Amino acid sequence: MKQIALAALAAFIAIALLALAAGAFGHSPSAVLAILFEGSVGSSFAVRETIIKSIPLLLTGLCVVIAFRAGVWNIGAEGQFIVGGLAAMLAARYGVAASFLAAAIAGALWASIASLMRLWRGAPEVLTTILLNFIAIHLLGWCVNGPLREASGRYPQTDLAMATLPRLGGVHFGSVLALIAAIVSWWMLYRTTEGLRLRATGFNPAAAKFAGINVAAQIVRAMAYSGALAGLAGGIELLGVTHRLFERFASGYGYAGIAVALLAQLHPIAAIAAALFFGALSSGAGELQRSANISATIATFGQAVVLLAVVAFTSRWRKRDA
Amino acid sequence: MKRTVILLGLLLAAALACSPAAEQPQPAQTTPEKKPLKVGLLTPGSINDDGWNAIAWEGLQRVKSELGAEISHQETKTPAEFQEGFRSYGARGFDLAFGHGFEFQDAALAAGKEHPNTIFITTSGNSVAANVSPMVFELEKATYLLGIIAARESKTGKAGLVGGIKLPSIEGTFTAFKAGAQSVNPNFVVTAVYTGNFDDAAAARLATLSLINAGADFILHQANEAGRGVFQACTERKVRCFGSNKNQNDLAPDVIVASAVLDVPAAFLRMATLVRDKQFKPQIQYLGINEKIVSVIWNDRLKGTLKPGTVAEVEKVEKQIREGTVKVPRGF
Repeated sequence: MKQIALAALAAFIAIALLALAAGAFGHSPSAVLAILFEGSVGSSFAVRETIIKSIPLLLTGLCVVIAFRAGVWNIGAEGQFIVGGLAAMLAARYGVAASFLAAAIAGALWASIASLMRLWRGAPEVLTTILLNFIAIHLLGWCVNGPLREASGRYPQTDLAMATLPRLGGVHFGSVLALIAAIVSWWMLYRTTEGLRLRATGFNPAAAKFAGINVAAQIVRAMAYSGALAGLAGGIELLGVTHRLFERFASGYGYAGIAVALLAQLHPIAAIAAALFFGALSSGAGELQRSANISATIATFGQAVVLLAVVAFTSRWRKRDA
Repeated sequence: MKRTVILLGLLLAAALACSPAAEQPQPAQTTPEKKPLKVGLLTPGSINDDGWNAIAWEGLQRVKSELGAEISHQETKTPAEFQEGFRSYGARGFDLAFGHGFEFQDAALAAGKEHPNTIFITTSGNSVAANVSPMVFELEKATYLLGIIAARESKTGKAGLVGGIKLPSIEGTFTAFKAGAQSVNPNFVVTAVYTGNFDDAAAARLATLSLINAGADFILHQANEAGRGVFQACTERKVRCFGSNKNQNDLAPDVIVASAVLDVPAAFLRMATLVRDKQFKPQIQYLGINEKIVSVIWNDRLKGTLKPGTVAEVEKVEKQIREGTVKVPRGF
């Protein structure tokens, strides 16, 4: 309960600071707030855009939640998202389900490279996952400039994917899948022994080992679940929104997932709200640009403020609880 | 906890207090029969990049100052944002929305279908619908002329080309350069090297040096920001070269003979004017020498050092291109 209040407070402060910052640059803070609101939830159009943006954020957020819960710093959601998109593109000819399966497996395998390097040489995931991001970005760049380039050969992008997600009231079906993923993640973490082992590993690996958990294998599995979620995010984004691949396909969804997970206090259900919040912030920021010509950096600024506030509050509360 | 709440309250109060009264919405103009043109722009990156996006922003500013248009801009990173931006312009009754890059084509087609009264224009591309068109710049008409200069002035009979990424538009300018050069000297040799990106000036410099070592005594680049490396190498080795996209003559005034210039802001203005005057026709909008979007600008300091007749020859061929008697190959 306290945690929810804390996250809400952080979000609130971020919005207040956003308005103040806009004031410092000569815009009326109340007008800015009105535009942010209008552009994020003020119309059915805005709500739709917010939901569409929240879908990849929720899935990459869940990816980070699961890994962090197991005590693994997977900051490779960006790369796992990209290989998920690539796999989905290749499997699209066999239909949507096959695409998503391929995307999840590709994401899991990509994340597993990092866990294998940890097992083999003790390489920290913080480094390996971020480096794997760069490899994935260049792999995608090579694919769209080489073997997967569109048939006309005109631009560095693929042809349209051969499968498309159905739409529900203007929003693609990925919204439902992302919600299901959040619920399944919660169920797995809190209602299964696998989840208990996973959380125990993250909470105190030494104690978990003492309790008979195979910590190494647990971490490998956690990374695979985590990567599968990010890969699925890539597949859903491909079949639901972009319909083709190009060099900047991921454009930061993987990193934004870290913000979602932290704001959600690493809770899968809270991640739904956190993803919607960041999705709304980004839609609102778009409207700020279009109607008040306020720079896009304002959304990034808002994200940073939210994170700082969350981090500051959690450490403060922890001190008081101790 | 209590303290935090108080702090928060203060923040909000401050936010509301800061609202200057001057920003109250102005009443609409008193001449309702002349609605201002509404023009939106989506860029794939920051308009402070001093390059691709900045030049589009400059175009939008020119549309505002010369046509009195109401303008709006959004920096869009993802296709979800491309669609959001275009749809939002369509829903708010904009007359024209630009998407600055080939990657905006899908979003333009989708939004175009939903909002038939808005015209969507992408910078480069090949997707055309009733209210969707790409503008395609014919820089190759200028590089054809540069090829003529190189072939007339070269002592070695060889020229080098330094490209960034091997995009069709870039290959097209090189194809035309070669055709121009070989129209003067059929045995003229042109070698192209691609560095694989548009920002590594060091790689562009090395590529240029290797071309010079292989005997090239004229260099044309298509490497955007990395072009600086080309000019460094040419200045070091005193090899003549050409500027491209912008008038770059001042960047290396001792070696740049001329620049193939692309006036992107003028292209935005031209399209907006067509839309305002209801002259817009859905088709690939080729913009080149005739439309005064593309031109060759001489470096006056070096113009006098050229062989007699070169300038006159270039001017003659330019006129022939304009009249259509000389056809410049597009290559794609």
